[in-house]
Amino acid sequence: MTKLWELYKSETWIEPFLMLSIGVFILTSSILYLLIIRSRSSKIKRYRLLAEYNTVIENLMFSVVFNDIPFSEVKKDENLNKLFKNGFFREVLIDSIMNLHKNYEGIYAQKLEQFYKESGLIKDSFKKLKNLKWEVKCKGITELSEINCTDAFDKIVKASKGRNKILKITAVNAAIKLGGTKSIMYLTRYSYPIDDWTQINIINAFKKHDIGDTTGVELLLESQNTTVIALGLKLIKELKLTQKIPYLAKLIANTPNTLIKYEAQNVLQILTV
Amino acid sequence: MTFITTELSLFFEGYLFLIIVYAVLIMSSYLLLAHLSTRELREYLKKNSFVDYDVLLTSEFAPSLSLIAPAYNEGFTIQENVKSLLSLNYNNYQVIVVNDGSKDNSMEILIKTYDLVLTELDIHPKIETKKIKGIYTSRNAAFKKLIVVDKENGGKADALNVGLNIAQNQYVVCIDVDCILDKDALLKLAKPFLESYGKRIIATGGVVRIANQCVIKNGRLVEVNIPDLMLPRIQVLEYLRAFLLGRMAWSRLDGLLLISGAFGAFDKEIALLAGGYSTKTVGEDMELVVRMRRYMLENKIPYGVSYIPDPLCWTEAPEDFKIFKKQRSRWMRGTIETLGLHKKMFLNPKYKLLGMVSVPYWTLFEFLAPGIEFIGLVLTIIFVILGLLNWHFFILLVLFVYFFAVMFSVIALYSEERTYHKYPKQTDFFKLLIAAFIEPIYFHPLTVYAALVGYKEKIMGTKGWGEMTRKGFTKK
Repeated sequence: MTKLWELYKSETWIEPFLMLSIGVFILTSSILYLLIIRSRSSKIKRYRLLAEYNTVIENLMFSVVFNDIPFSEVKKDENLNKLFKNGFFREVLIDSIMNLHKNYEGIYAQKLEQFYKESGLIKDSFKKLKNLKWEVKCKGITELSEINCTDAFDKIVKASKGRNKILKITAVNAAIKLGGTKSIMYLTRYSYPIDDWTQINIINAFKKHDIGDTTGVELLLESQNTTVIALGLKLIKELKLTQKIPYLAKLIANTPNTLIKYEAQNVLQILTV
Repeated sequence: MTFITTELSLFFEGYLFLIIVYAVLIMSSYLLLAHLSTRELREYLKKNSFVDYDVLLTSEFAPSLSLIAPAYNEGFTIQENVKSLLSLNYNNYQVIVVNDGSKDNSMEILIKTYDLVLTELDIHPKIETKKIKGIYTSRNAAFKKLIVVDKENGGKADALNVGLNIAQNQYVVCIDVDCILDKDALLKLAKPFLESYGKRIIATGGVVRIANQCVIKNGRLVEVNIPDLMLPRIQVLEYLRAFLLGRMAWSRLDGLLLISGAFGAFDKEIALLAGGYSTKTVGEDMELVVRMRRYMLENKIPYGVSYIPDPLCWTEAPEDFKIFKKQRSRWMRGTIETLGLHKKMFLNPKYKLLGMVSVPYWTLFEFLAPGIEFIGLVLTIIFVILGLLNWHFFILLVLFVYFFAVMFSVIALYSEERTYHKYPKQTDFFKLLIAAFIEPIYFHPLTVYAALVGYKEKIMGTKGWGEMTRKGFTKK
């Protein structure tokens, strides 16, 4: 301590300290500058590759969807075979198939699903589903649900039970698409609060995927978790489920929670008008 | 003589110690905040890539918003600006334009363009304001979201309070009428209000960026450019640093004191309970956030303040020094007034992180920094002249500060590059890089000078905003 004080008093440290700091600042700035340049170059390279791959993929998808070319034929093309081994190409291809699948229905959508399975791209999605990083898992879930892969249903429902909100929303959304109401039945025993944003997303999934069979939605009203009951009420209101009126009446008669009672009365009034 | 020399020498040693400690403290706090900000930003972007904001567009459960846009002598741009506000991507909202006694033809333009007629609104004012001359709505169903209030001039805070009194929705979004909003701005601003359970989100704020020389078409930003003029160009860099490397960290720490007056959303009930905007300060945006937070803490209500790092709002920065000086001196007065009004919070553990960290930080590094810097520079020069400090050391000290400032700007550029990448043109990047080198010797002294003018104005009792003229955006 005394030595330190002596060093401080001697003031000999100041100049080396300042010079070292200046050096560190200049070095850091230079490194960051180089990193910016590298990032910009890689972005340019990526855009160029993307444009190149998109041209190849466009032709490939046209052949698959409209000319009924199976994957076994595609494999014979050496150039495509080589590209299929490239991770970035596969990612771009998956994104393209997802976008096309959103826009096509019926036979064309089925052809895309078939190609997705035969080409092994589905394995990439399953790998993502197993990944420990939630963002990768989300990507896998989105892909598998878009392609209507019902084999993934159980794994997706499992993922929806976690506490990571984004993963939960993505998984619940996907599960509703693949399995309808049964995929949210576990919520009746769910003990964590579900915020309004998650609730709105669940309701939107029902509307978006046009889930006709709403058997079991009434079970949400029996939950001990008030946010799950609120979700049930919102679903009944938004989907105009008049067949659930008796359950609403039961909830109004039994719930000790005044907010829930008031909301249930409100929904009941809307449905009976 | 020997006694004086000894005293001076002791003073010099103490001064040297203090100045280095202060510099190291301020620099390390900047770096710490930048680190926290970057981490938070990365996390936000990762999460945001899976968010479907469109669910809010179709949901009847989306929060209802009232946009309040005070206007004073905005006749030049008001027609297009209001049109842009009416065409935002959101369903459940109304637009309240408050004409704060403009001396120009703003009202005539609004009445004519939007086919406005006087109307009777059943309002129960909670905050006292200047007299309302008339409330107008449109006869045209296409503008049914629009309410225009014509009132006596009372300043921005008073106009915002009129908006708060009139707003019919649960949340109010206070904006500058001349700002260009991203079309999804309201969707992004509304989402945090739905996200918390067990605590009430009382305010959300967004990032403001500089739009000088950017191209605007039909009230929307279509091309991002970096200004050629050095003053607005450096402000682009300054805003990047403040919003990307500062506020995100304060948000993470839950110590955010300021939501920009240009663009922020508030829980109307809490804003009214806290007393609305203060007309006693020119820093009404910061003051309201501090007062709302204080209200929640004093009443022990769990709450949160959220912050969206996406560039949602684009504004015009002053291009000439006169206007710049007015703006910055006003900001300084606003800071002094807010900190003065809430001095009770300073190092008061009752106010948690806000009292123990945020308020002291603002006092030390925002309010006092320009003064300390100026006094430090003057004293250092005196010491050099007196021979107590050699030139070599003085130059090292200057270079130390200079290169830190450059490095910090480059960190901001790196963060922007890795996140939003809004300036993809090579020329724009180099323009900003040049600005980073010029800023410490050109722009920074101007901000210190303007802040000192702010001190002086506060001491002299200057009130009000002063006239702020704007050039208007480049339109396509």
